[in-house]
Amino acid sequence: MDYHNSGNQVESNKRIRVAVVGQPNVGKSTLFNVLTNNKVHVANWPGVTVEKHYGTRRYRDREIEFVDLPGIYGFSSLTLEERIARSYILSGEPDVLLVLVDSLNPERTMYLAVQALELTPNTILVFTKADATHARGIHINYEKLQRKLGVPVVSVSAATGQGIEELLDLIVASAEKEEKKEPIRIDYHELNPYIESIEKILSRYAEVLKYPIRWIAVRLLEGDHELEDYIRKQAGEEVLDEVASIRREAATVLKRDPVEIASIRRFEFISSILGEVVVKTELKHVPVSRLTRLFYNPVIGSLLGIAILALIFTIVFMVNTGFPLNALFEALGYSELATLVEEYSLSGILDYALNELGNVVYDAMGDTMLAHLVVDGILGGVGAVLVFLPLIAIVSLALALLEDSGIAPRIAVGVHNLLAKIGVSGHAVFPITLGLGCNVPAILSTRGLPDPRERLRLILTLPFIPCQARLVVLLALASAFSRYSGGLLLLSGYLISFFVFASVNRVLYEIDRRKGRAITPEMLLEIPPIHRPIPRVIWWLTWNSTKHFLVKAGVIIFSLSIVAWTATSYTFSLTYTSDPSESIAAAIARSFAPLLSPIDLPSTTAWIVSLALIAGFIAKEIIISTLLIATGADSVRNAIELIWLSDAQIASIAMFTVLYVPCLATLAVIHSETKSLKYTLLAVLLMMVIGYASMVVTYWIASAIM
Amino acid sequence: MTTTLEELANGRKAKIVRVAGGRGLIYRLYQMGLTPGTEVEVLSNYGRGPIVIRVMGTEVAIGRGVARKILVEPLPE
Repeated sequence: MDYHNSGNQVESNKRIRVAVVGQPNVGKSTLFNVLTNNKVHVANWPGVTVEKHYGTRRYRDREIEFVDLPGIYGFSSLTLEERIARSYILSGEPDVLLVLVDSLNPERTMYLAVQALELTPNTILVFTKADATHARGIHINYEKLQRKLGVPVVSVSAATGQGIEELLDLIVASAEKEEKKEPIRIDYHELNPYIESIEKILSRYAEVLKYPIRWIAVRLLEGDHELEDYIRKQAGEEVLDEVASIRREAATVLKRDPVEIASIRRFEFISSILGEVVVKTELKHVPVSRLTRLFYNPVIGSLLGIAILALIFTIVFMVNTGFPLNALFEALGYSELATLVEEYSLSGILDYALNELGNVVYDAMGDTMLAHLVVDGILGGVGAVLVFLPLIAIVSLALALLEDSGIAPRIAVGVHNLLAKIGVSGHAVFPITLGLGCNVPAILSTRGLPDPRERLRLILTLPFIPCQARLVVLLALASAFSRYSGGLLLLSGYLISFFVFASVNRVLYEIDRRKGRAITPEMLLEIPPIHRPIPRVIWWLTWNSTKHFLVKAGVIIFSLSIVAWTATSYTFSLTYTSDPSESIAAAIARSFAPLLSPIDLPSTTAWIVSLALIAGFIAKEIIISTLLIATGADSVRNAIELIWLSDAQIASIAMFTVLYVPCLATLAVIHSETKSLKYTLLAVLLMMVIGYASMVVTYWIASAIM
Repeated sequence: MTTTLEELANGRKAKIVRVAGGRGLIYRLYQMGLTPGTEVEVLSNYGRGPIVIRVMGTEVAIGRGVARKILVEPLPE
């Protein structure tokens, strides 16, 4: 696109680009979804794996593109997120910058806004959560604030839609106005002479410095490595030396770090302005806050946290699979009731529908090869995975509720002491919980962790957290148990995974500690007030993760199902065979089968298991579709019968499945996050060795007791 | 009389005097509003586990190691 906005003139019909920035918990993602009508696209910021969300909307014949910047507390350049946000704003690409301020807590959240105003005058201050201010006794005089700051100020509510149109009008007006404005100047009191000296030095290079000079001067005084590099490149090392000596002088004369002074002065600036425009009427404290403080108690908190997570997952399993209700009925002797619960669980109903669909295809197309491809390859492969769609949707819903209600950070505080025992902080509860859905976002979310070693240990061990793809395989294998309850397999799968996750973390922490590289896990986390989740937001969060699964099932598993069907239907001489054991896939898989000899698989069918496990490297769901396609069975239970597996063998294969490499995507993200082949291979080695050992041990134990 | 945030009991209020620690920690604490001179209130401190404080109207959970680096001056009860 040949679009560079140097002037302010933007013709109608042209694209207006708007960057949206705000501190965590100010309601940024909610507002972003409202502004873009939830038509959000996801890409990566150039060169990094931080997600970039953007979306467009037409308004008054203009195309407005919104770009969501990462949630940050300031523009210091210390974190990757801060650097991304800052350089995007400075790139000149956005015509307008929206800075979000929480109207329930303006004193703190204005800090980012003030820093943004020092950076660029093309800013609109957006006060969020306008619908809740009056109930909390907060009154803000927006017009007066607007006059004081010299930039547009608007109050909006994503929940009620209040102020959204006014905001859109302001965006258009700001992008199209001609007048040139200057960034605001904050009075830094005792720092002023030093800022001015640096400004004087820098003004000699005004030609080559593209950013506001005063802003650079303040940032350099505070010590900003990224800007130091920039100055070195644009103006030379000597200039940097001059600046450094001014900085040292300031620190010696004032006897305080300029960072401290600058931060204090910014907050003073905020409170002097807000003091004139905000009126708070004292209201009674909301009674719920006392109750939620139970989470802060080390004992009650961890119990409460674990109980909530366990409860959610029990409910989810019950709705979908009948477990553990069916097992309970079975144990009490009501086996008919148990069968009923299973049949009318969501996956039972979907399973039935897919079988019927297969029959319809055969009726319509006859016993042709195409019909085989459609029913065995596509319906069998994709269908076996789609059966679990409701499960994915409900788990995503539960996680969305935890996130949006503000319960999640409280759980983090509650379980901190428990997690500290395995060398990670309470922050780790987010990656772990996310990991139960999918390991990829789980690994990405470790970025929020303050300690890099703790983060590395988590990246290496998070793949042991059983994601939903592995749950899908576990459930399918559990359904094939002949003598024992499948619930038992499910439960042990989860318990063993968590045990392995905890033990490996503990061991890695010990190693780090002996090398003197580990610090006691610490946390620093803002806890937003508990609030009733907004249905629309819950729906977006749920739909986004469900969509991710659907696309995966649709595209990857669909195509791999066809590949698997072809590889199991053709021989090396490329002739069609109805006996998969003569196929190309069988020949390849047979060469790996000896590795499975410790679990005594029947020699004629060992290659099927071997093939499924090889395919499972790509993504775990493919294990099921491969089993079905290779055996030609219509259900996993049927397939397992055809392979002649005992309960002990099923259990051992299940343990290997939950513990070995979850999928290629996870490996890719481990590599991109650690930027190290060594650590990626270490992760693979850990998973393969532990998975294989668990498989063998499970087989020994299970054959002895079953 | 200055002490550390870690030593403050439940319900006590204090003024932040100084933050000791690395550059990254200092920046983050300042950005979250924990600048010298700011008043904080301890919401929960059970002797182990994170300390939860209220600062500028927001609840923040702080690990004990970090809390030890925040010097405060307790305000009269």
